[in-house]
Parts: sequence; C-alpha cells; structure tokens
Amino acid sequence: MLHAKSSLHSPLPAAATIKLDTASFELLTSPTRDWSASIQLTALDPRRRCNPCKEFSPSWNAVAKAWSKTSKQHRDTHFFATLDFDDGQAVFQQLGLASAPVVYAYPAAEGSRSTGKTAPSTYDFSHGFEAGPLAQHLSRHTPIPIPYTAPFDWARWTTTAAGVLANRWTWAVVSILTSLVMTSGYMFTRIRNSPFMGGDGSWIAGGFQNQYGQEVQVISLVYGTLGFAFIMLTLVIPYQSSSQRQRFQVYLWTAVIAMVYSILVVLFKAKNRGYPFRLLL
Amino acid sequence: MPPLPSQQTALTITSLLRLVALGLISGAAIAPRLFSVVEFESIIHEFDPWFNYRATRILTSKGFHEFWNWFDANAWYPLGRVVGGTVYPGLMATSGIIYAVLHAMNLPVDIRNICVLLAPGFSALTAWATYMFTKEMKDESAGLLAAAFIAVAPGYISRSVAGSYDNEAIAITLLMITFYSWIKALKLGSALFGTVAAMFYFYMVAAWGGYVFITNMIPLHALALMLMGRYTGRLYVAYSTWYAIGTLASMQVPFVGFQPVSTSDHMAALGVFGLVQIVALTQVVKSHVSSTQFQGLLSAGLILALGVIAFAGMTYRGMIAPWTGRFYSLWDTSYAAKHIPIIASVSEHQPTAWPSLFRDLQFLLFLLPAGLALCFYHLRDEHVFVVLYAVAASYFAGVMNRLVLTLTPVVCVATAMAVSEMLDVYLDVGSEERTEKEKEKEIAEAEDADAASKPKRPGPHIHSLDTRLAVILPLCSLLAFFILHSTWVTDVSYSSPSVVLATYNRDGTRNIVDDFREAYAWLRQNTAEDAVVLSWWDYGYQIAGMAQRTTIVDNNTWNNTHIATVGKIMSSPESIAYPLLRNLDVDYILILFGGVIGFSGDDINKFMWMVRIAEGVWPDEIQEARFLDAQGEYGAIEAMRESLLFKMSYYRFADRIRFNQGRSRVVMDRVRNQPAPIGVSLDYLEEAFSTENWMVRIYKVKREDVLGRDLKSANAFVSGVKRGPYPERVLTRRRPLDIHVV
Repeated sequence: MLHAKSSLHSPLPAAATIKLDTASFELLTSPTRDWSASIQLTALDPRRRCNPCKEFSPSWNAVAKAWSKTSKQHRDTHFFATLDFDDGQAVFQQLGLASAPVVYAYPAAEGSRSTGKTAPSTYDFSHGFEAGPLAQHLSRHTPIPIPYTAPFDWARWTTTAAGVLANRWTWAVVSILTSLVMTSGYMFTRIRNSPFMGGDGSWIAGGFQNQYGQEVQVISLVYGTLGFAFIMLTLVIPYQSSSQRQRFQVYLWTAVIAMVYSILVVLFKAKNRGYPFRLLL
Repeated sequence: MPPLPSQQTALTITSLLRLVALGLISGAAIAPRLFSVVEFESIIHEFDPWFNYRATRILTSKGFHEFWNWFDANAWYPLGRVVGGTVYPGLMATSGIIYAVLHAMNLPVDIRNICVLLAPGFSALTAWATYMFTKEMKDESAGLLAAAFIAVAPGYISRSVAGSYDNEAIAITLLMITFYSWIKALKLGSALFGTVAAMFYFYMVAAWGGYVFITNMIPLHALALMLMGRYTGRLYVAYSTWYAIGTLASMQVPFVGFQPVSTSDHMAALGVFGLVQIVALTQVVKSHVSSTQFQGLLSAGLILALGVIAFAGMTYRGMIAPWTGRFYSLWDTSYAAKHIPIIASVSEHQPTAWPSLFRDLQFLLFLLPAGLALCFYHLRDEHVFVVLYAVAASYFAGVMNRLVLTLTPVVCVATAMAVSEMLDVYLDVGSEERTEKEKEKEIAEAEDADAASKPKRPGPHIHSLDTRLAVILPLCSLLAFFILHSTWVTDVSYSSPSVVLATYNRDGTRNIVDDFREAYAWLRQNTAEDAVVLSWWDYGYQIAGMAQRTTIVDNNTWNNTHIATVGKIMSSPESIAYPLLRNLDVDYILILFGGVIGFSGDDINKFMWMVRIAEGVWPDEIQEARFLDAQGEYGAIEAMRESLLFKMSYYRFADRIRFNQGRSRVVMDRVRNQPAPIGVSLDYLEEAFSTENWMVRIYKVKREDVLGRDLKSANAFVSGVKRGPYPERVLTRRRPLDIHVV
C-alpha cells in the first residue's frame, strides 16, 4: 500500500490524466484506497474505430487539466486516469464493458473521505460529451468542486458580433447617437476641459460661448426626445390599425414635442438674453 | 363638379408650381442677406474679403495674366507675397467673368457691387443645387423643403451675407452641385455625370481650401458601399471617372500643385481608387472562374493591408507629407494650441458650444436624427452618403466654429426628408375615399396573405381628420418659427459689416462708429504713397484695401517668423523695438484701442497672442511669464508697462477731459475697467492720428536724431529735463539790462 501510494505520489506526468494499464488500474481501484479517482475507459486507437471516444477525449482532458490546477493537497486525494483498451483488455473483460467511452468515479473506500460505498458510479452521458456537465457530475466525488471554466467560445461570439454589425439599425443607433452628442457641444467641453458642473453647483454656464459637461447630456437628451417623437409620428403611428389608439398617440407625441421644444427655447434664452421669442413656457 | 384634370395637365401644373416655388425661394434666399446693405451701405465686410476684393480689382483692371503672375510687393514688406501661387483663384475668377459678361452687355456695373452682391446671388444657386440633391434622395417636395431651409438657415447666411466676399460664398454652391453630380453619376453609372462632378470639383478646389472635405467624403462613400457589399459597375464608372479627371484637374491650381499625390489629406481618395480597381478586377475574374469568391475577398483584404502598410511606411519615410497643421488640428484638438498658436488664436477656429449651433440651425438640429432614421429605413446607396456626411460634418462642426457651414446643407437635406415624409403621411387625402369594393379587395388580399407566409403590413394610414390637423398645424407653426428665428438672427448677429460698428444709446438711438474707415482714409490722404504701416496681422488686408499702403503682416499668416517679429516689437520696450522698426523701414504703426468706447476686440486684449507667438520664435527674449502678475493674470506690471503696445494704447489717455461722464474725475479704461495709467511717455514714436473715439491710433516712427543723440535723451532735452551737473552760470537767468534813457 505504502509503496503503491508513494509511486502514485510521484510528480504528475505532462498530461493531467494518468495513463493506466491493467496493473496500475488494480492499484488505483484497490479496495483499501483512501483516495478517490475518476477513470475514463476508452479506445483511442484508430483500429478500434471508436468515434465517440475521439469526440469525448478532449472534454475529458479539459476537465482533468482543470483539476490539475488545484492545490497539491487536493490533487493528491483525487486522481484522473485514463485506461485505453489496448493497454488493459483484461479490465474491460472483467468489468464486462462492451462499449466505450465509459467514465467510472471511484469514491474513497477508507479514510476520512469514505462514504461507505466502494462501488464506482457511472457517468451516463445524458448531456452528451460536453465538458461542463462532466465536470459537474464528477465534482460530486472530488474534495472540492472541479474548477472547470468553459473556454471562450470564439465561434459563437464572432457570429453574433457579425450579425450585430451587419444589421443596419446598429449603425443607425451609432450614427444618431454620435451626431446628437457632437451637436450638443461635446467637443467643446473636451477641448476646453470644461467642468461637469459649475463651481457654484449650477449646471448651465452663463455665457453664450461657454458650456459645462452636464449641458451636453441635457441637450442631447432634449434633441433625442424631439427626434424620437418625430420618428414615432412618422414611422410608427401611421401603421396603427386602431383609430382610438392612433388618436391618443398622435396627441401624446405632439404634446411631447410642444413641451420639450418650449423647454429648449427657455434654455436657449437663459444663454442668449436678447432672444425675443418664446413658445409655451 | 368639374372633372379632375388629366394626368398630363396635372404634371404641367405641378412643374409650374415647382418653378414658381423655386423662384420665391431664391427671393427668400437673397432678401435676408441684404440687411447690411440696407442698414449700412454696400461695403465689403470683415478682413479676408478685403484681400479678395483687392485681388479682383487687379484682375479686372489689369487682366488675367497680371493677376495670375502677380507678385504683391506691398504686403509682407520686405518679403512680398507671391499671390498667384498662394491664392485660391476661383472666387476672383468668378467675379471677373461676371464683370466681363456684364460689361460686354454694356451694363457698367462697378466691381465693388459685383463683389458685394456675389454671395447672395450664389446662395440662390445653392438653394437650387440643394433642391436637385434632395430630389435624388426622396422626391421633389422634399427638394423644395430643403431649398427653403438652406435659403434661410443662419448657419449658411453667416458666411454669405452681402459684403462677405469670401471663398465660402461660392464654395457651398459648388459643394452641393458636386455632391449632386456624384449621386447622379452613382445612380446612373454615367461617365458624363462623373465628368460633371469632376469639373465642379475642380472649380471647388480652385475656390476654397475646404475642398479636402469632398476629397475625403466621396471616397468614404465609395468605401462604405463596398464594405456593405453594394459594389456595382455603376460605382466603378462613377468613382473612376470622378477621381481620374477630378484629381488631374485639381492639380492645375498652382496652390494645390502635387498635393493630391503626396499629402495624407488626399491619400484616402487614391487608396479607394486602387481598391475599386482591385474589386472590379476580382469581379471580372470571378465571373469567368468559379469559386474564387473567397480568394477575391482574401486578396482584397491582403492588398488593403499592404496598401495601409505602404502608406504608413511612406509617411514615415517622409515621401508622403503628414497631415498638415490646419487639418491635423481637427483630429488632435490640442495640437494647435501647443505648436501653432496662430491657428489656435483665430476666433473662427474655436470649438462650438451648443447655443451657437442652436442659433445657427435651430430645429434642423433635432430633426437630423429623424432624417437619419429615415435614411436607414430606406438605405439606398445615396442615403448612405447622407448618413456619412451628417456624422462627419457634425463632428467637424463641433470642433471648429467655421465648419458649422459644412454641416448646414446636410441638416437641411435630412430635415427636409423627415418633414416631407411626415407631410406625405398626414396630408394623404386620397385614402379617405376608398370605396366599398376596394375595402373588400383589401380584406380578400389580407386573407390570402394570412394563408401565405407572413401577413402583409397595412400601409400607413391616418384614420381621422382631427389627428391630421393635430400634426399639420404644429408642423407649420414649427416651420414659421424657424423663419422668424432665422430672420432675427440674421438681422442681429450677421448683418454687421464689422468695418462700421453700430452701438445703441440708452434711448435706443443708434450711434455709428466709423473709426476704422476714418483711420484708413487719414492714412490714404496724409501719408506718402510708399509709406510702410505696421499693425497686427488682423488689419493687414483692410489697410492694404482701404488705405492702400504697404503692410508688414496681414491675414494670410503665411510667415510665422515675420508675425513673431511684429509681436516682439509690440511686447518689447521702446529701445529694443526701435532698431527692429528701423530695420523694417516702418513709417507708421497702427493699433486698436477700445478703452474709450468699450470695444473689447482691441490690441491690448490680443496682447497674449502677440507674446505667445513671439515667444515661440524667441523664447529667451520674450517670456509670457514676465507679463503675468502674482495671480497669473495679465496685469500692469513693469514688463507690461514698458511694452510698446501698452505705451501706444495709453499715451495721453489719462489727459482726456471727461465731460458729464459721471462724478468720477478719473479716466477709466472701459474694457479692462481700470483707471487710466499715468505717466506714459513715448520717446521713439510720436502720435500721428487718433480717431474720433480713439479706436484706431496711428503713430509715426521718428527718424534718427540729426545731432546723433539717442532719441531718449533728445526727447528728455526737449521736455526740459535737467541732465547732469550743468554749471550754475548757464542755468541762471540773465540779469535784465539796466538801461537809462537819457
């Protein structure tokens, strides 16, 4: 036992999963083990023509690799191992396996982590060959959950990005926001390093050729609301089928335009005292 | 009820109505631009137009070859200025042609009147060009609206009032015609329209330095279309024709020369030209060989990348000149303030705050998003152009005050599209009279469509009359408000000739301040014809135009060192400035002083720019820090008090007697709100003339003393200052003679 343990405590090979043969399989699954193990029984040789084995192998390696990143004290209590058919035919016969791949999780038989069960539990591949569900299932047998994080899915991300970029309304929103912000004097505040608000807490600067940062936000909001009201009146409301709803919306948006434009004129008058016109306010 | 007119009659009537409308719009374009002529007189405004006017006078009096090869020895004395190679001749040539045509018809119109009224005349043409442009975007009714908007928009009026004889007067007209021809060429795939676009592009290059905008806008449009996958043979024909002919033509203007193939400003056009050729080639190859589509994209991308690398490499190695100062400062907005103070000091180059934009464009600004949304809704090839133009122009308008002008046409177009669409929907009277049969047909069609893939969306329809009125009436009042606003803004802000100022007394009567012309007339009438006048560069063109005297620096600002020399003279003590003055053969110095009437645009207020520009060339002799007081502001500390400009401004100011001007007996500088400095003396200059309101003061530079003394001592002697221990005997008065009459 001690001898077996020490050989297993030797530095891990380059792969995170231990390559087993019949003898080492017996060792790993000995009835007096105080460690737990997840073992993959697979047949990767091309002569065996096991396509599911090839499909599953990367997921297994990914989960095993994730486990190898944990701290040494945990790594030494749970092992990931792979037994290939060509290395351990006897084990396959003994376990009565006719198909591959098969994943067995052997819990600890003795020691602090034992649960009383010594028989292995099988992974039923109900979620297919994905690494995430595998890690989740095996985490029930590991001292700490396997820190598996799905790798960045470049393909899906680029296709969604391309879809967004190809859509004209993305560009519509970008152009409209840019022009709104620019015409509200944003570059002025950038170039002159205007403060966001005045020193005395006022949000609107006094002079005609002067403005604070907050004015950019307010004015672009005002312009945006007015433009949006126009778009509603022109592009959306005429397609309303219900006469009542259409009437209500027309009056609503016209009132919005009247009010917001009046506010805009009041703001302009605050800047330009000599302005003789006023709307509703 | 009379029968409805036939289709043909209806078309004829509508085109007549359109013609009448365009005529009225042209009238509406010209009328508000004439405020200054009506209120003041027919005079050239501002500063730059005076040079253009002088150049046009040379053109019309001496002929085209004299103008083309003109070397102006009276400007930038003693360097002179090669005008033929450093001017955009389009404006002068246009006036010259109009002058020649009118005189050939025996209508002896004075050249001054042609120059003053050129801008309003061309604004009517701009309205027509905008109509044609918007007609391509949507339809004729949108075109008429756009023409009406640009006729009265203050953003355009500001640079095209009568008397504003500057490049922008014709530039915007040419801009819109070029863009219209480009869109037409693109839509038809026509080499003819491509050539028309190239010809008007050439005219634009000859007229205004802002032609670079077109040079980059059209390639950007072509590139955007290619990236959107909308490359067609039409695009190829239109772009290749425009680029080839337009670039070759533009290189004929001497001022432009070889820039189109060697500066970064023009490289985008060249790059897109190459790209269009490559894409066309891959299309041709693809049509003959299958499955090369991926190859084509790959090689296009590869060549684009190679092109970018080559461009970067050539710029790095210096073969392509990098972005030049004026245009580079549009991207790196802090560049000018750090490196080229002259660019930063021009008031037109300041960034634009939102009230300024609102005053110039009012409701056009918030209908711009609505117009852009409409463009994206339809998104034909030409709508992509409007979107690109609008976004680029709104950035540039925010960065530089002067470029609000380039934003104005596109907001007019976008707003016209939005308003026209709204009017189309809410004025649609035909749908009210749908018959029963038609309604049944619609229901049947809807049922059929349900059986098919998607239900057909019902067309836009406004159900009741009151909702129509609820939108139409406010819309019309909105448009009326725009007209009122524009007219008021034009009258108040943009109709001042700035050569003549008007102030208003407390009882509302107007006071005309005509000091500038008084000073220039004095110079013209009381100085020798070859006298040299030194002033700050703002007034150079006006002095050359109205006083017709030689100047040291003027608004062309092409030689920074020369301007820095003037700045050094203004900010140095007299003894240092005098040798410099004599070096430049200066006879008279002209300065502006606003302390008497409160004119805040005087030279003392521009002093910091003089110091900064001089410091840029002589950092060890002039330091701005020496002129700043303990609070970091400009104050009357010693360096300031000794400077020539200070002395010239306040010489004898404290001696002014104030009549009925409040109880205080102290003379106040009404701009700086400071009491007048006392004890200001001048040794090397003498006062020649000060105008009625002391706005313009002219000083004569004294020649060297005939006895060889330095002028400071000579002056001291004349004013009776005792110097040194003279023997008592000389100072004692002579005893009276004791004479007795016998």
